[in-house]
Amino acid sequence: MSILNEFINSYFLWRDPMIVGAVTGAACGFLGVYVVLRRIIFVSATLTQISSFGVALSFYLAGLGLTMFSALIGPFALSLILTMIAAGFYALKRDFTRISREGVIAFGFLIASGGVIILGDKITSGAHDIATILFGSAVVVDPMDVYLIPAIAAVVFIIHLIYYKDFIFISFDTESARLFKYPVRRLNTLLLITVAIIVAVTTRALGALPVFGLLALPPLASLYLTEKLPLVFVFSVIIGMLSAVLGYFFSFILSIPTGASIAVCASLFFILALLSREIKNSA
Amino acid sequence: MTNLIKFENVSIGYGKDVFAESVNLAVDPNQFWGVLGPNGSGKTTFLKTSLNLIPPVSGQISLKNTLVFGYVPQSEKFDPIFPISVMELVSMGRYSRVKPGRKLSKNDNDMIELSIEKIGLSNLRYRPFRSLSGGEKQRALLARSIAGEPDLLVLDEPTASVDIKGEAEIMELVKKIQTERSLAVIMVSHFLHTVSEYSDHLILIDKDANIFHAGEKSEVLKKESLDNLFGLRPNLD
Repeated sequence: MSILNEFINSYFLWRDPMIVGAVTGAACGFLGVYVVLRRIIFVSATLTQISSFGVALSFYLAGLGLTMFSALIGPFALSLILTMIAAGFYALKRDFTRISREGVIAFGFLIASGGVIILGDKITSGAHDIATILFGSAVVVDPMDVYLIPAIAAVVFIIHLIYYKDFIFISFDTESARLFKYPVRRLNTLLLITVAIIVAVTTRALGALPVFGLLALPPLASLYLTEKLPLVFVFSVIIGMLSAVLGYFFSFILSIPTGASIAVCASLFFILALLSREIKNSA
Repeated sequence: MTNLIKFENVSIGYGKDVFAESVNLAVDPNQFWGVLGPNGSGKTTFLKTSLNLIPPVSGQISLKNTLVFGYVPQSEKFDPIFPISVMELVSMGRYSRVKPGRKLSKNDNDMIELSIEKIGLSNLRYRPFRSLSGGEKQRALLARSIAGEPDLLVLDEPTASVDIKGEAEIMELVKKIQTERSLAVIMVSHFLHTVSEYSDHLILIDKDANIFHAGEKSEVLKKESLDNLFGLRPNLD
Protein backbone atom coordinates (compact mmCIF):
# COMPACT_ATOMS: atom_id res chain seq x y z
CA MET A 1 0.00 0.00 0.00
CA SER A 2 2.82 2.36 0.83
CA ILE A 3 4.38 1.69 -2.58
CA LEU A 4 1.12 2.59 -4.26
CA ASN A 5 0.84 5.75 -2.15
CA GLU A 6 4.37 6.65 -3.04
CA PHE A 7 3.56 6.11 -6.70
CA ILE A 8 0.44 8.28 -6.53
CA ASN A 9 2.23 11.01 -4.60
CA SER A 10 4.96 11.08 -7.23
CA TYR A 11 2.51 11.74 -10.07
CA PHE A 12 4.48 14.80 -11.17
CA LEU A 13 7.33 12.44 -12.02
CA TRP A 14 5.39 9.93 -14.08
CA ARG A 15 2.53 11.98 -15.50
CA ASP A 16 4.28 13.12 -18.69
CA PRO A 17 6.06 9.84 -19.49
CA MET A 18 2.87 7.92 -18.86
CA ILE A 19 0.87 10.17 -21.20
CA VAL A 20 3.51 9.65 -23.89
CA GLY A 21 3.59 5.91 -23.17
CA ALA A 22 -0.20 5.54 -23.33
CA VAL A 23 -0.45 7.44 -26.60
CA THR A 24 2.43 5.40 -28.01
CA GLY A 25 0.71 2.19 -26.91
CA ALA A 26 -2.54 3.26 -28.56
CA ALA A 27 -0.90 4.40 -31.81
CA CYS A 28 1.41 1.39 -32.12
CA GLY A 29 -1.42 -0.96 -31.14
CA PHE A 30 -3.57 0.47 -33.92
CA LEU A 31 -0.92 0.50 -36.66
CA GLY A 32 0.43 -2.84 -35.51
CA VAL A 33 -2.77 -4.52 -36.73
CA TYR A 34 -1.71 -3.73 -40.31
CA VAL A 35 1.86 -4.77 -39.53
CA VAL A 36 0.72 -8.18 -38.26
CA LEU A 37 -1.99 -8.80 -40.88
CA ARG A 38 0.38 -7.93 -43.73
CA ARG A 39 3.02 -10.21 -42.18
CA ILE A 40 5.59 -7.42 -42.06
CA ILE A 41 6.40 -7.58 -38.36
CA PHE A 42 10.10 -7.56 -39.15
CA VAL A 43 9.74 -4.49 -41.35
CA SER A 44 8.53 -2.73 -38.21
CA ALA A 45 11.47 -4.16 -36.23
CA THR A 46 13.81 -2.82 -38.92
CA LEU A 47 12.09 0.57 -38.89
CA THR A 48 12.55 0.87 -35.12
CA GLN A 49 16.26 0.05 -35.51
CA ILE A 50 16.66 2.56 -38.37
CA SER A 51 14.89 5.13 -36.25
CA SER A 52 17.32 4.38 -33.39
CA PHE A 53 20.18 4.70 -35.84
CA GLY A 54 18.86 8.16 -36.81
CA VAL A 55 18.81 9.20 -33.15
CA ALA A 56 22.35 7.85 -32.56
CA LEU A 57 23.65 9.44 -35.76
CA SER A 58 22.18 12.77 -34.73
CA PHE A 59 23.98 12.65 -31.36
CA TYR A 60 27.18 11.58 -33.08
CA LEU A 61 27.05 14.43 -35.61
CA ALA A 62 26.22 16.91 -32.87
CA GLY A 63 29.30 15.66 -31.01
CA LEU A 64 31.38 16.44 -34.09
CA GLY A 65 30.24 20.03 -33.86
CA LEU A 66 28.21 20.13 -37.08
CA THR A 67 26.00 22.88 -35.74
CA MET A 68 25.18 24.41 -39.14
CA PHE A 69 23.00 21.38 -39.83
CA SER A 70 21.50 21.47 -36.36
CA ALA A 71 17.92 21.57 -37.62
CA LEU A 72 18.50 18.60 -39.89
CA ILE A 73 20.61 16.56 -37.53
CA GLY A 74 18.29 16.91 -34.55
CA PRO A 75 17.33 13.44 -33.28
CA PHE A 76 13.71 13.82 -34.29
CA ALA A 77 14.35 15.12 -37.83
CA LEU A 78 17.09 12.65 -38.71
CA SER A 79 15.25 9.69 -37.23
CA LEU A 80 12.10 10.69 -39.12
CA ILE A 81 13.89 11.19 -42.45
CA LEU A 82 15.76 7.87 -42.31
CA THR A 83 12.71 5.92 -41.15
CA MET A 84 10.53 7.41 -43.89
CA ILE A 85 13.13 6.65 -46.56
CA ALA A 86 13.27 3.04 -45.33
CA ALA A 87 9.46 2.77 -45.20
CA GLY A 88 9.18 4.17 -48.72
CA PHE A 89 11.75 1.66 -49.94
CA TYR A 90 9.95 -1.31 -48.36
CA ALA A 91 6.58 -0.08 -49.65
CA LEU A 92 7.67 0.47 -53.24
CA LYS A 93 10.24 -2.28 -53.71
CA ARG A 94 8.40 -5.50 -52.96
CA ASP A 95 10.09 -7.96 -55.31
CA PHE A 96 13.77 -8.72 -55.43
CA THR A 97 15.49 -10.96 -57.92
CA ARG A 98 17.82 -13.67 -56.60
CA ILE A 99 17.16 -12.90 -52.91
CA SER A 100 14.06 -12.97 -50.71
CA ARG A 101 12.32 -9.92 -49.28
CA GLU A 102 13.08 -11.24 -45.79
CA GLY A 103 16.77 -11.07 -46.68
CA VAL A 104 16.53 -7.38 -47.53
CA ILE A 105 14.59 -6.73 -44.31
CA ALA A 106 17.28 -8.58 -42.33
CA PHE A 107 19.96 -6.52 -44.08
CA GLY A 108 18.22 -3.27 -43.03
CA PHE A 109 17.83 -4.52 -39.46
CA LEU A 110 21.42 -5.67 -39.09
CA ILE A 111 23.12 -2.66 -40.64
CA ALA A 112 20.99 -0.28 -38.54
CA SER A 113 21.59 -2.27 -35.33
CA GLY A 114 25.31 -2.48 -36.00
CA GLY A 115 25.40 1.23 -36.81
CA VAL A 116 23.66 2.12 -33.55
CA ILE A 117 26.17 0.14 -31.48
CA ILE A 118 29.21 1.52 -33.34
CA LEU A 119 27.94 5.10 -33.07
CA GLY A 120 27.03 4.51 -29.43
CA ASP A 121 30.62 3.61 -28.78
CA LYS A 122 31.77 6.81 -30.47
CA ILE A 123 29.33 9.19 -28.78
CA THR A 124 31.38 11.08 -26.25
CA SER A 125 28.59 12.66 -24.24
CA GLY A 126 27.82 10.45 -21.26
CA ALA A 127 24.29 11.81 -21.08
CA HIS A 128 23.24 9.94 -24.18
CA ASP A 129 23.48 6.36 -23.11
CA ILE A 130 22.98 4.19 -26.20
CA ALA A 131 21.23 1.51 -24.19
CA THR A 132 18.46 4.04 -23.61
CA ILE A 133 17.99 4.46 -27.34
CA LEU A 134 17.92 0.72 -27.92
CA PHE A 135 15.88 -0.53 -25.01
CA GLY A 136 14.08 2.59 -23.87
CA SER A 137 14.06 4.47 -20.64
CA ALA A 138 10.99 6.69 -20.82
CA VAL A 139 11.74 7.75 -17.26
CA VAL A 140 11.89 11.33 -18.43
CA VAL A 141 10.45 12.57 -21.69
CA ASP A 142 10.97 15.84 -23.48
CA PRO A 143 8.12 18.18 -22.37
CA MET A 144 7.45 18.86 -26.06
CA ASP A 145 6.71 15.17 -26.59
CA VAL A 146 3.65 15.39 -24.36
CA TYR A 147 2.07 17.60 -27.03
CA LEU A 148 3.94 16.50 -30.15
CA ILE A 149 3.33 12.74 -29.97
CA PRO A 150 -0.45 12.97 -29.28
CA ALA A 151 -0.76 15.59 -32.06
CA ILE A 152 1.07 13.39 -34.59
CA ALA A 153 -0.90 10.33 -33.45
CA ALA A 154 -4.15 12.27 -33.95
CA VAL A 155 -3.18 13.24 -37.52
CA VAL A 156 -2.22 9.64 -38.30
CA PHE A 157 -5.50 8.41 -36.81
CA ILE A 158 -7.49 10.84 -38.99
CA ILE A 159 -5.64 9.60 -42.10
CA HIS A 160 -6.52 6.04 -41.11
CA LEU A 161 -10.12 6.95 -40.45
CA ILE A 162 -10.40 8.38 -43.97
CA TYR A 163 -8.63 5.49 -45.69
CA TYR A 164 -9.68 2.61 -43.42
CA LYS A 165 -11.59 0.68 -46.09
CA ASP A 166 -8.83 1.27 -48.64
CA PHE A 167 -5.95 0.19 -46.38
CA ILE A 168 -7.83 -3.00 -45.49
CA PHE A 169 -8.68 -3.63 -49.15
CA ILE A 170 -5.13 -3.26 -50.48
CA SER A 171 -3.78 -5.32 -47.59
CA PHE A 172 -6.29 -8.17 -48.07
CA ASP A 173 -6.67 -8.32 -51.85
CA THR A 174 -4.09 -6.33 -53.78
CA GLU A 175 -5.02 -7.92 -57.09
CA SER A 176 -8.67 -6.83 -56.97
CA ALA A 177 -7.60 -3.39 -55.81
CA ARG A 178 -5.41 -3.08 -58.92
CA LEU A 179 -8.27 -4.32 -61.08
CA PHE A 180 -10.53 -1.65 -59.58
CA LYS A 181 -7.87 0.94 -60.46
CA TYR A 182 -7.03 1.71 -56.83
CA PRO A 183 -3.72 3.60 -56.45
CA VAL A 184 -2.22 0.60 -54.66
CA ARG A 185 1.37 1.86 -54.58
CA ARG A 186 0.41 5.27 -53.27
CA LEU A 187 -1.86 3.80 -50.60
CA ASN A 188 0.81 1.26 -49.59
CA THR A 189 3.35 4.04 -49.29
CA LEU A 190 0.97 6.23 -47.27
CA LEU A 191 0.24 3.34 -44.92
CA LEU A 192 3.91 2.56 -44.31
CA ILE A 193 4.79 6.25 -44.00
CA THR A 194 2.25 6.61 -41.18
CA VAL A 195 3.89 3.61 -39.49
CA ALA A 196 7.32 5.17 -40.06
CA ILE A 197 6.28 8.54 -38.57
CA ILE A 198 4.88 6.93 -35.43
CA VAL A 199 7.92 4.66 -35.13
CA ALA A 200 10.30 7.62 -35.51
CA VAL A 201 8.65 9.87 -32.95
CA THR A 202 7.95 7.17 -30.38
CA THR A 203 11.32 5.40 -30.67
CA ARG A 204 13.05 8.63 -29.78
CA ALA A 205 10.83 8.96 -26.70
CA LEU A 206 10.58 5.34 -25.52
CA GLY A 207 13.29 3.33 -27.33
CA ALA A 208 13.31 0.64 -29.99
CA LEU A 209 12.41 -2.38 -27.86
CA PRO A 210 9.10 -1.13 -26.37
CA VAL A 211 8.01 0.38 -29.69
CA PHE A 212 8.63 -2.90 -31.51
CA GLY A 213 6.86 -4.76 -28.70
CA LEU A 214 3.84 -2.43 -28.86
CA LEU A 215 3.63 -2.79 -32.65
CA ALA A 216 3.68 -6.58 -32.58
CA LEU A 217 2.21 -7.96 -29.35
CA PRO A 218 -1.12 -6.09 -28.82
CA PRO A 219 -2.39 -6.97 -32.36
CA LEU A 220 -1.25 -10.59 -31.94
CA ALA A 221 -3.13 -10.80 -28.62
CA SER A 222 -6.22 -9.18 -30.16
CA LEU A 223 -6.31 -11.69 -33.01
CA TYR A 224 -6.73 -14.39 -30.35
CA LEU A 225 -9.50 -12.47 -28.59
CA THR A 226 -11.90 -11.74 -31.46
CA GLU A 227 -12.86 -12.78 -34.99
CA LYS A 228 -14.17 -9.30 -35.85
CA LEU A 229 -11.74 -6.99 -37.61
CA PRO A 230 -12.97 -3.66 -36.15
CA LEU A 231 -12.73 -5.19 -32.66
CA VAL A 232 -9.16 -6.33 -33.38
CA PHE A 233 -8.26 -2.65 -33.76
CA VAL A 234 -10.16 -1.65 -30.60
CA PHE A 235 -8.64 -4.42 -28.44
CA SER A 236 -5.19 -3.77 -29.83
CA VAL A 237 -5.38 -0.07 -28.92
CA ILE A 238 -6.59 -0.90 -25.40
CA ILE A 239 -3.92 -3.59 -24.86
CA GLY A 240 -1.24 -1.25 -26.23
CA MET A 241 -2.28 1.51 -23.79
CA LEU A 242 -2.53 -0.87 -20.84
CA SER A 243 0.86 -2.42 -21.63
CA ALA A 244 2.51 1.00 -21.68
CA VAL A 245 0.77 2.26 -18.51
CA LEU A 246 1.27 -0.96 -16.51
CA GLY A 247 4.81 -1.28 -17.86
CA TYR A 248 5.58 2.16 -16.55
CA PHE A 249 3.87 1.43 -13.22
CA PHE A 250 5.87 -1.78 -12.62
CA SER A 251 9.04 -0.07 -13.76
CA PHE A 252 8.43 2.62 -11.13
CA ILE A 253 7.56 0.40 -8.19
CA LEU A 254 10.04 -2.41 -8.95
CA SER A 255 12.87 -0.16 -10.19
CA ILE A 256 13.27 -2.07 -13.44
CA PRO A 257 14.02 -0.64 -16.94
CA THR A 258 10.86 0.94 -18.36
CA GLY A 259 11.23 -0.21 -21.98
CA ALA A 260 11.74 -3.81 -20.95
CA SER A 261 8.87 -3.60 -18.48
CA ILE A 262 6.50 -2.34 -21.24
CA ALA A 263 7.61 -5.15 -23.59
CA VAL A 264 7.10 -7.79 -20.87
CA CYS A 265 3.64 -6.42 -19.99
CA ALA A 266 2.63 -6.61 -23.67
CA SER A 267 3.99 -10.19 -23.75
CA LEU A 268 1.88 -11.09 -20.70
CA PHE A 269 -1.24 -9.77 -22.45
CA PHE A 270 -0.34 -11.95 -25.41
CA ILE A 271 0.01 -15.02 -23.18
CA LEU A 272 -3.32 -14.24 -21.45
CA ALA A 273 -5.05 -13.89 -24.82
CA LEU A 274 -3.54 -17.18 -25.99
CA LEU A 275 -4.71 -18.93 -22.81
CA SER A 276 -8.21 -17.46 -23.09
CA ARG A 277 -8.45 -18.79 -26.67
CA GLU A 278 -7.27 -22.24 -25.54
CA ILE A 279 -9.81 -22.28 -22.70
CA LYS A 280 -12.57 -21.16 -25.05
CA ASN A 281 -11.66 -23.85 -27.59
CA SER A 282 -11.57 -26.59 -24.99
CA ALA A 283 -14.89 -25.55 -23.37
CA MET B 1 -16.72 0.82 -78.74
CA THR B 2 -19.19 -1.99 -77.99
CA ASN B 3 -16.55 -4.62 -77.21
CA LEU B 4 -15.81 -4.94 -73.52
CA ILE B 5 -12.28 -6.19 -74.22
CA LYS B 6 -10.52 -6.14 -77.60
CA PHE B 7 -7.19 -7.80 -78.41
CA GLU B 8 -5.35 -6.45 -81.47
CA ASN B 9 -2.26 -8.39 -82.56
CA VAL B 10 -1.43 -9.15 -78.96
CA SER B 11 1.51 -11.30 -77.88
CA ILE B 12 1.09 -12.86 -74.46
CA GLY B 13 3.81 -14.00 -72.07
CA TYR B 14 6.57 -12.65 -69.86
CA GLY B 15 9.47 -10.85 -71.57
CA LYS B 16 10.98 -13.16 -74.18
CA ASP B 17 8.82 -16.08 -73.07
CA VAL B 18 5.90 -15.53 -75.47
CA PHE B 19 3.36 -18.34 -75.78
CA ALA B 20 0.67 -16.71 -77.94
CA GLU B 21 1.30 -14.33 -80.83
CA SER B 22 -0.94 -12.15 -83.00
CA VAL B 23 -3.99 -12.78 -80.86
CA ASN B 24 -7.11 -10.99 -82.12
CA LEU B 25 -10.30 -11.44 -80.21
CA ALA B 26 -13.15 -9.45 -78.71
CA VAL B 27 -15.29 -10.10 -75.66
CA ASP B 28 -18.82 -8.73 -76.02
CA PRO B 29 -21.73 -8.40 -73.57
CA ASN B 30 -23.66 -11.58 -72.85
CA GLN B 31 -20.87 -13.88 -74.01
CA PHE B 32 -19.52 -16.69 -71.82
CA TRP B 33 -15.85 -17.35 -72.50
CA GLY B 34 -14.22 -20.44 -71.09
CA VAL B 35 -10.42 -20.53 -70.82
CA LEU B 36 -9.23 -24.10 -70.77
CA GLY B 37 -5.84 -25.68 -70.36
CA PRO B 38 -3.83 -28.00 -68.14
CA ASN B 39 -2.14 -26.77 -64.95
CA GLY B 40 0.71 -24.37 -65.70
CA SER B 41 -0.47 -23.85 -69.28
CA GLY B 42 -0.57 -20.03 -69.13
CA LYS B 43 -4.28 -19.55 -68.33
CA THR B 44 -3.61 -17.17 -65.44
CA THR B 45 -1.08 -15.20 -67.51
CA PHE B 46 -3.71 -14.84 -70.23
CA LEU B 47 -6.30 -13.75 -67.67
CA LYS B 48 -4.03 -11.17 -66.04
CA THR B 49 -3.03 -9.83 -69.45
CA SER B 50 -6.71 -9.50 -70.41
CA LEU B 51 -7.37 -7.53 -67.24
CA ASN B 52 -4.35 -5.25 -67.79
CA LEU B 53 -2.78 -6.54 -64.57
CA ILE B 54 0.32 -7.45 -66.58
CA PRO B 55 1.20 -5.74 -69.88
CA PRO B 56 1.11 -7.65 -73.18
CA VAL B 57 4.51 -8.37 -74.73
CA SER B 58 3.28 -6.52 -77.84
CA GLY B 59 0.03 -5.36 -79.44
CA GLN B 60 -2.86 -3.56 -77.86
CA ILE B 61 -5.62 -4.50 -75.47
CA SER B 62 -8.49 -2.03 -75.27
CA LEU B 63 -10.97 -2.04 -72.42
CA LYS B 64 -14.30 -0.27 -72.66
CA ASN B 65 -14.01 3.04 -70.82
CA THR B 66 -16.83 2.41 -68.38
CA LEU B 67 -16.06 -1.29 -67.91
CA VAL B 68 -16.67 -2.53 -64.36
CA PHE B 69 -15.16 -5.88 -63.39
CA GLY B 70 -16.46 -8.46 -61.00
CA TYR B 71 -13.60 -10.72 -60.00
CA VAL B 72 -13.65 -14.14 -58.38
CA PRO B 73 -10.09 -15.20 -57.60
CA GLN B 74 -9.19 -18.60 -56.20
CA SER B 75 -10.27 -18.63 -52.56
CA GLU B 76 -6.93 -20.14 -51.44
CA LYS B 77 -5.13 -16.95 -52.41
CA PHE B 78 -6.55 -15.08 -49.39
CA ASP B 79 -4.44 -15.04 -46.25
CA PRO B 80 -6.48 -16.71 -43.46
CA ILE B 81 -4.87 -14.43 -40.86
CA PHE B 82 -7.42 -11.73 -41.83
CA PRO B 83 -10.56 -11.88 -39.67
CA ILE B 84 -12.74 -10.58 -42.50
CA SER B 85 -16.48 -11.33 -42.25
CA VAL B 86 -18.57 -12.35 -45.24
CA MET B 87 -20.24 -8.93 -45.08
CA GLU B 88 -16.88 -7.14 -45.19
CA LEU B 89 -15.71 -9.35 -48.03
CA VAL B 90 -18.81 -8.69 -50.12
CA SER B 91 -18.49 -4.94 -49.42
CA MET B 92 -15.11 -5.00 -51.14
CA GLY B 93 -16.84 -5.93 -54.40
CA ARG B 94 -18.59 -2.58 -54.25
CA TYR B 95 -15.29 -0.68 -54.09
CA SER B 96 -15.14 -0.81 -57.89
CA ARG B 97 -17.70 2.01 -57.71
CA VAL B 98 -16.44 3.83 -54.60
CA LYS B 99 -13.27 5.90 -54.85
CA PRO B 100 -10.50 5.70 -52.23
CA GLY B 101 -11.22 7.91 -49.23
CA ARG B 102 -14.98 7.78 -49.83
CA LYS B 103 -17.46 5.95 -47.63
CA LEU B 104 -20.08 3.50 -48.87
CA SER B 105 -23.44 5.20 -49.45
CA LYS B 106 -26.85 3.80 -48.51
CA ASN B 107 -27.28 2.68 -52.11
CA ASP B 108 -23.94 0.85 -51.92
CA ASN B 109 -24.96 -0.88 -48.69
CA ASP B 110 -28.32 -1.86 -50.19
CA MET B 111 -26.54 -3.41 -53.17
CA ILE B 112 -24.22 -5.34 -50.84
CA GLU B 113 -27.22 -6.67 -48.89
CA LEU B 114 -28.97 -7.62 -52.12
CA SER B 115 -25.93 -9.52 -53.37
CA ILE B 116 -25.69 -11.48 -50.11
CA GLU B 117 -29.38 -12.40 -50.29
CA LYS B 118 -29.18 -13.24 -53.99
CA ILE B 119 -26.43 -15.80 -53.41
CA GLY B 120 -28.19 -17.20 -50.32
CA LEU B 121 -25.61 -16.15 -47.76
CA SER B 122 -27.84 -14.15 -45.40
CA ASN B 123 -27.31 -16.62 -42.54
CA LEU B 124 -23.53 -16.46 -42.97
CA ARG B 125 -23.09 -12.70 -43.32
CA TYR B 126 -21.30 -12.22 -39.97
CA ARG B 127 -19.25 -15.41 -40.14
CA PRO B 128 -15.50 -15.04 -40.71
CA PHE B 129 -14.68 -15.78 -44.34
CA ARG B 130 -11.79 -18.03 -43.29
CA SER B 131 -14.13 -20.35 -41.36
CA LEU B 132 -16.33 -21.15 -44.39
CA SER B 133 -16.22 -24.38 -46.40
CA GLY B 134 -14.78 -24.35 -49.93
CA GLY B 135 -18.21 -24.05 -51.54
CA GLU B 136 -19.35 -21.32 -49.14
CA LYS B 137 -16.18 -19.36 -49.82
CA GLN B 138 -16.80 -19.50 -53.57
CA ARG B 139 -20.38 -18.33 -53.07
CA ALA B 140 -19.18 -15.46 -50.88
CA LEU B 141 -16.71 -14.48 -53.61
CA LEU B 142 -19.50 -14.66 -56.18
CA ALA B 143 -21.63 -12.35 -54.02
CA ARG B 144 -18.67 -10.00 -53.82
CA SER B 145 -18.24 -10.05 -57.59
CA ILE B 146 -21.84 -9.01 -58.29
CA ALA B 147 -21.99 -6.35 -55.54
CA GLY B 148 -20.26 -3.90 -57.88
CA GLU B 149 -22.91 -4.42 -60.62
CA PRO B 150 -20.23 -5.48 -63.12
CA ASP B 151 -20.34 -5.64 -66.89
CA LEU B 152 -17.83 -8.45 -66.96
CA LEU B 153 -17.44 -11.32 -64.51
CA VAL B 154 -13.99 -12.85 -64.31
CA LEU B 155 -13.67 -16.21 -62.57
CA ASP B 156 -10.34 -17.89 -61.89
CA GLU B 157 -10.88 -21.62 -61.27
CA PRO B 158 -14.12 -21.01 -59.33
CA THR B 159 -14.75 -24.72 -58.73
CA ALA B 160 -11.20 -25.82 -57.95
CA SER B 161 -11.79 -26.36 -54.22
CA VAL B 162 -15.33 -27.77 -54.19
CA ASP B 163 -16.90 -31.21 -54.64
CA ILE B 164 -19.02 -32.20 -57.64
CA LYS B 165 -22.30 -31.09 -56.03
CA GLY B 166 -20.78 -27.77 -55.00
CA GLU B 167 -19.35 -27.32 -58.46
CA ALA B 168 -22.76 -27.78 -60.09
CA GLU B 169 -24.36 -25.32 -57.63
CA ILE B 170 -21.74 -22.68 -58.26
CA MET B 171 -21.88 -23.04 -62.02
CA GLU B 172 -25.69 -22.85 -62.01
CA LEU B 173 -25.43 -19.65 -59.96
CA VAL B 174 -22.89 -18.16 -62.37
CA LYS B 175 -25.08 -19.03 -65.36
CA LYS B 176 -28.18 -17.60 -63.65
CA ILE B 177 -26.39 -14.34 -62.82
CA GLN B 178 -25.05 -14.07 -66.36
CA THR B 179 -28.46 -14.61 -67.93
CA GLU B 180 -30.34 -12.26 -65.59
CA ARG B 181 -27.89 -9.40 -65.94
CA SER B 182 -26.69 -9.98 -69.54
CA LEU B 183 -23.13 -10.10 -68.27
CA ALA B 184 -20.06 -11.18 -70.13
CA VAL B 185 -18.15 -13.93 -68.33
CA ILE B 186 -14.55 -15.08 -68.62
CA MET B 187 -13.97 -18.27 -66.68
CA VAL B 188 -10.65 -20.04 -66.30
CA SER B 189 -10.75 -23.73 -65.54
CA HIS B 190 -8.87 -26.92 -66.17
CA PHE B 191 -12.11 -28.92 -66.08
CA LEU B 192 -13.18 -29.66 -69.67
CA HIS B 193 -16.73 -30.66 -68.72
CA THR B 194 -17.37 -27.45 -66.72
CA VAL B 195 -16.12 -25.15 -69.44
CA SER B 196 -17.72 -26.96 -72.34
CA GLU B 197 -21.14 -27.13 -70.67
CA TYR B 198 -21.54 -23.48 -69.79
CA SER B 199 -19.49 -21.44 -72.25
CA ASP B 200 -20.34 -20.32 -75.77
CA HIS B 201 -16.78 -19.20 -76.61
CA LEU B 202 -13.58 -21.00 -75.79
CA ILE B 203 -9.89 -20.34 -75.49
CA LEU B 204 -7.61 -23.37 -75.38
CA ILE B 205 -4.13 -22.68 -74.00
CA ASP B 206 -1.01 -24.73 -73.53
CA LYS B 207 2.18 -22.71 -73.64
CA ASP B 208 4.42 -25.80 -73.60
CA ALA B 209 2.72 -27.22 -76.69
CA ASN B 210 2.40 -23.79 -78.36
CA ILE B 211 -1.37 -24.08 -78.43
CA PHE B 212 -3.64 -21.03 -78.43
CA HIS B 213 -7.05 -21.41 -80.05
CA ALA B 214 -9.84 -18.88 -79.50
CA GLY B 215 -13.32 -18.61 -80.96
CA GLU B 216 -16.83 -20.01 -80.78
CA LYS B 217 -17.14 -23.24 -78.87
CA SER B 218 -18.18 -25.27 -81.91
CA GLU B 219 -15.09 -24.10 -83.81
CA VAL B 220 -12.59 -24.63 -81.03
CA LEU B 221 -13.89 -27.76 -79.33
CA LYS B 222 -12.69 -30.26 -81.88
CA LYS B 223 -11.16 -33.65 -81.41
CA GLU B 224 -7.78 -32.51 -82.73
CA SER B 225 -7.49 -29.54 -80.40
CA LEU B 226 -8.45 -31.54 -77.34
CA ASP B 227 -6.13 -34.33 -78.34
CA ASN B 228 -3.29 -31.83 -78.62
CA LEU B 229 -4.21 -30.05 -75.40
CA PHE B 230 -4.83 -32.91 -73.01
CA GLY B 231 -3.55 -35.91 -74.91
CA LEU B 232 -7.16 -37.14 -74.88
CA ARG B 233 -9.12 -39.13 -77.42
CA PRO B 234 -12.57 -37.77 -76.54
CA ASN B 235 -15.85 -39.02 -77.94
CA LEU B 236 -17.74 -35.84 -78.83
CA ASP B 237 -20.63 -37.52 -80.58
